Amino acid sequence: MSRTTEQLYADLATVMATAFPDRDISVTVGPETRVFADLGMASIELIVLGERLEQFYGGKLPYGPFLAGLRKQGAEDLELGKLVEFLQSHVK
Amino acid sequence: MPDVVVNGTRLFYQQSGEGPDVVLIHAVTSNQAVWVFTGLPDAIAAEGFRVTTYDLRGHGASDRPPTGYTSAQMADDFRALHAELGLKPAFVVGHSFGGVIGIHTALLHPECVEGVILSDSFFPGLRHVEPNFGRSNVWVDLQATFNEVGVDLGETVNFTRLFQASATLTPEQTKALETLVGPIGRGWLRQLPLLAQTTCGDEVLAEAGLTAEKIASVTRPVIALYDEFSPFLATCRWLEQHMPNCTAEIIPEAKHLAVVENTVAFTASVIGHLKRLAAPTGLPLTV
Repeated sequence: MSRTTEQLYADLATVMATAFPDRDISVTVGPETRVFADLGMASIELIVLGERLEQFYGGKLPYGPFLAGLRKQGAEDLELGKLVEFLQSHVK
Repeated sequence: MPDVVVNGTRLFYQQSGEGPDVVLIHAVTSNQAVWVFTGLPDAIAAEGFRVTTYDLRGHGASDRPPTGYTSAQMADDFRALHAELGLKPAFVVGHSFGGVIGIHTALLHPECVEGVILSDSFFPGLRHVEPNFGRSNVWVDLQATFNEVGVDLGETVNFTRLFQASATLTPEQTKALETLVGPIGRGWLRQLPLLAQTTCGDEVLAEAGLTAEKIASVTRPVIALYDEFSPFLATCRWLEQHMPNCTAEIIPEAKHLAVVENTVAFTASVIGHLKRLAAPTGLPLTV
């Protein structure tokens, strides 16, 4: 059975809190939260986050193509809602 | 987190695909995200290569030791990373200073390198043939951005000055710069003051033994991809004329960072050259 949206947001908050302990993100996580503009993340931290998500879920995710696809679409930031949609498609 | 400790420094790396090894090396003040966001690692892996990207010391998610930033020292980091990860002789794709590291590794540790693809690299050892070093368009753009908040970076490329200027910005200047560089540029801006605590600025512009004569002695195949509006086209011509096994190609509609500025053309060129270089070696592509 797939994880619910709520579970995925909770997962994301857990992974981000562990990966970036300096940031208080728990209160700001929502579908429209932007990783660069709102969370102040750097591009390399997004790469680290992908790697940590793979560790958390115990398997490889097509995270690179996901990020490259966003850039192709002209996106200048990543909303967490998009990331959760991606996880919903690839995490059991 | 995939880390490898080399020469006492923890480097963050990622790997994908199976087949002959390709290692992507980013430029000074950049990190491996520049490759990932353009899709280049996955595009190369899809063609039957194993692709490794990593953050140089002092950059991205790797450790930031106070010293050890010359191309010779970073070539030794490459050698150690190559050994730790058990890579086969690799094709190195290096942007700017990443290409200098690739050539220096081919010179000092040829057993680690099968070939080098340069992307718009400036070589401190070729400063005498490069009239545009001081007027690099990338530096001119950066200088203009910092000028808008009242900071003078000087006429000539000077990383130490950039790092130190970034470390002494007022909160107001920082905020104004962050607005100018946009959300993605903020992360880049934040790392600059940290590099002021290192010797990176001066050391990446040091010849470090990679003289013109030594560059010309590298026998591994070298592909010199230079950008149509690059400030370093004299370097491109010199490499083509003096290196024994060098092929030059111009990437259109780019000025220094072709992988971002013309992703389609750069990716096609890199993959085409990698497949051609891998074929005569008999290295099996695992498509």
